Amino acid sequence: MTDALIEGNHLTKVYGTATGPLVALADVSFAIEEGEFISLVGPSGCGKSTLLSILGGLEERSEGDVALDGEDLDRPRTDIGMMFQTSVLFPWRTVRQNVRLPGIVLGLDAKEQAQKCEELLDLVGLNGFGDRYPSELSGGMRQRVALARLLAHGPRVLLMDEPFGALDEFTRETMNLELLRIWEKTGKTVVFVTHNIGESVFLSDRVFVMTPRPGRLAGTIDVDLPRPRSAQMMRDPRYSELVFEIRGMLGIDH
Amino acid sequence: MTIDASVVHPAIETVQHQTSIEKHLAQEKSRALRKRITNRLLAAGFGVFVLPVWYAATAFEWVHALIIPSPVDTFFAAGRVMSADYFLANAWVTISEILWGFGLGLASGVVFGVAVAMFDSVRATIYPYLVALQAPPKIVLAPIFITWFGFDEPSKIAIAVVMSFFPMFLNTLTGLSSVDPNAVKLMRSLTCGRWQTFRYLLLPNALPIMMTGVKLCWTLAVLGVIVGEFVGASAGIGYLIYAMNFQLDIAGVFALIILLSLFTVIVYQLIEWAEAKIIFWKQV
Repeated sequence: MTDALIEGNHLTKVYGTATGPLVALADVSFAIEEGEFISLVGPSGCGKSTLLSILGGLEERSEGDVALDGEDLDRPRTDIGMMFQTSVLFPWRTVRQNVRLPGIVLGLDAKEQAQKCEELLDLVGLNGFGDRYPSELSGGMRQRVALARLLAHGPRVLLMDEPFGALDEFTRETMNLELLRIWEKTGKTVVFVTHNIGESVFLSDRVFVMTPRPGRLAGTIDVDLPRPRSAQMMRDPRYSELVFEIRGMLGIDH
Repeated sequence: MTIDASVVHPAIETVQHQTSIEKHLAQEKSRALRKRITNRLLAAGFGVFVLPVWYAATAFEWVHALIIPSPVDTFFAAGRVMSADYFLANAWVTISEILWGFGLGLASGVVFGVAVAMFDSVRATIYPYLVALQAPPKIVLAPIFITWFGFDEPSKIAIAVVMSFFPMFLNTLTGLSSVDPNAVKLMRSLTCGRWQTFRYLLLPNALPIMMTGVKLCWTLAVLGVIVGEFVGASAGIGYLIYAMNFQLDIAGVFALIILLSLFTVIVYQLIEWAEAKIIFWKQV
């Protein structure tokens, strides 16, 4: 546990609401190694998005500690990048200008960033789309742009909040394979929030299973499926076993 | 040796497919153009239909010429008014009042809108007062402003500013506040401060709603100036309208109203043209 990249201890988050306090996270502890692909899976209200926001330094915790490389995570950091369910592309900027945005606001070297932008567009399969506007792209293509923008300033940790949750099933599967391909190339640490159990098993090294009211970490599943992974893997009996193990932990096996 | 048809075929098919797409696009375009022309013709046709009715109503004396002058009289009155030596000076007074009122109303609306949207303390301090000031119909301020700022331009400009300020202020505030929370999160995660978020996200995001405010601001500035000139002035189009009405020169009044409307509409069209350039991403 001592050489973990991200470490959370007894994290608790309580929101004050009109009907009284709401415990979004209750005493959650975990450790994430450098280069790991972690999924947070659970139903709505299990605190997975709250946990992601805390890791991103966007939300304060009520109690507990969380640190990256031993440094307290109490504010946003440039070595952590975030991606959301909506692509959040700015419609007045072209694809290229959207991908360049992190470099611009962070004041990074323009020449280097211009080159990196082209590499990233290549990487996400959007070569030739740099001058398009987001309104001209499909949902899947927009998430590809968001993925390129996520990588633009070179963060070590990628926090992804149901990034493919709004896509149709076919596009989602393609994007999962793309994400794995890119992750294997770049070696980033990923924390991926989803409510899709199959997706979490397919993608991750470990799955953090979370349950609601109050949001708790019910357990961690090690996904011992070989890499690189392909769609064939979903036929692997071990894949089904893991999915059903998680379903059991979430209490949805009737 | 056989030629594998499936190798040759797709290429040809692609070319054919391409030309058929282009054909469809061209058809789409010409359909849109036809629709636009039809709409213009409908609008023009309605105008052409109204004119004879207007003319008939006056020619057969369904209405008295002192209530509605005939279109012919109005047309000649327009010529008479525009060639009169007093016209240009008075028109210029009104135009400059409107432009000043519009400019100052727009600028103050934007400044206060940005300040209230960006600083919670400013919002807490002045927002209730700005809304309260909005409550009385602003026309009641006209006589007071004449007392404060005199019979000349400043009082008219003041009324125009007071009338055009609020829509600009409110649309700026609304525009800056109507933002995707995830976009704000994205900017925060990139360690952007208040002003970077404003420049790269909030301001461009607010422009469509702000442009609606600009258009409201324009029509209200015109209204404010004319109201001011009615209440008390020694020059200007509103003053001329008031004076001609008093002299029962109704055709002259109609002519001035039409000229004023033309001016307002032309500038309005200019604003819409600029709007299309500024918020290009909203166009289809």
